[in-house]
Amino acid sequence: MELDVNYMIDTFFLALGGISVTLQITIVALLVATPVAFFMAISKIYKVSIIKQIVSGYVSLIRGTPMILQILIIYSLVPSLINMIVKGLGWDFNVFDVNPIIYAYIVFSINTSAGLSEVFRSALLTVNVGQLEAAHAIGMSTVQAYRRIVIPQALVVALPNICNLTINLIKGTSLVFMMTVKDITAIAKIQAAFGYNYIESYIDIFLIYIIICSITQLLFALVEKHFGSYKSLKNA
Amino acid sequence: MRPFDPWFIVNVIPDLLAYLPVTLFMIVGSMFFGSMLGFILARAKIKGCRIPKLLADLYIATLRCTPPIVLLFIVFYGLPELLKVTMGVNINAIYKGVFVLVTFTLLFAASVAEVMRSAYESIDKGQREAAISIGLSEFQAFYRIILPQAVVVGLPNFCNALINLMKDGSLAFTIGLIDMMGEGALIVSRNYGSYALETYIALAVIYWSMIIVIEKSFNLLEKHLSKGKARVMA
Repeated sequence: MELDVNYMIDTFFLALGGISVTLQITIVALLVATPVAFFMAISKIYKVSIIKQIVSGYVSLIRGTPMILQILIIYSLVPSLINMIVKGLGWDFNVFDVNPIIYAYIVFSINTSAGLSEVFRSALLTVNVGQLEAAHAIGMSTVQAYRRIVIPQALVVALPNICNLTINLIKGTSLVFMMTVKDITAIAKIQAAFGYNYIESYIDIFLIYIIICSITQLLFALVEKHFGSYKSLKNA
Repeated sequence: MRPFDPWFIVNVIPDLLAYLPVTLFMIVGSMFFGSMLGFILARAKIKGCRIPKLLADLYIATLRCTPPIVLLFIVFYGLPELLKVTMGVNINAIYKGVFVLVTFTLLFAASVAEVMRSAYESIDKGQREAAISIGLSEFQAFYRIILPQAVVVGLPNFCNALINLMKDGSLAFTIGLIDMMGEGALIVSRNYGSYALETYIALAVIYWSMIIVIEKSFNLLEKHLSKGKARVMA
């Protein structure tokens, strides 16, 4: 097997340009999903009757279907929905002008919120009820107690799972080329199509993902160390 | 614009289910081979000397960072070349399921190795020592004492890994394997893309039901297997 090394190096740096798209989708998805997931987790913990069932169904549906299907469904549903709404309102607006990255934001926000809500729920449940009661006893409101006492402790427990979820999210974004978004995979694939250098391109993508994911894991390890510092104090 | 047609979903499900055996075969095959490779990796991590342990760590860390679709295409384009150069075998005309099996075996092995390792390590060391002290051999101690306990611990994580395998397995159509997703894509193109949404929803329904069945059966299995545990605690 002869690998075209020059091609690989060129494509590697070209495909690096796609990292911004990948990170953009990841960050937007996490930002949108966090508040939604938090309220889903809370409604499950407090057993709000109807909402709890809706949330359970939603989480089960999202976790029970492949990412690729979610992408295909959203990509064939949302544009026509927008088109219908726009036509109904009589605006002068072409749906094909919408940057496809918007659809990627939608898919990955939906997908992440389901996973994140389970992470939050299990993390919040690990915090002893006594903590909340003690916070109430010294006169904090429930919101204050959550913000100052419960969430900081739950976050430390949740961090490894959030890291896992972020890694899976980053890996999942490799599918956005299906929605014609130009991320790492799409750029490298387009390059490969000129000279049928598919192996080289995919090895490049592979390397870039290993680098991004390793950096992400490293960052999470640092954050975990920072937030977990109160634990070592307690033991001392 | 054509209105949404819910009946198409109902009508297309039998067509898609005709290819369920292909999908299931890929999943079961990858699960089988992946578990074997995963067992070797887990063993290397638990008992291995430094170099096998390092290799297993490296393998698991790398595969954890690899998107399934990227690995699938590396195997799809790389494996024929590799075999041609090293052994002179031409496998260009081979059934595409082979590439899918290889890819998902590699992926599943990495995740299941971690499941097996953590399950093994959750069992108290005293269990093995006690088994050896009453005269069981090392193999007997593992097979009769540690394994039954570790299986119960590892079952929920194994179920999760299996579900992820099923979901990732839906990418097989991208290299042209005609499984359920592949047939779905064919149906979409046969209708000139007009029934895309309905077909995808039908596929989502099938996947969702499959995954619910797996989850429920693993729950039952776990309940069944942890009977012994309750008795010890009582």
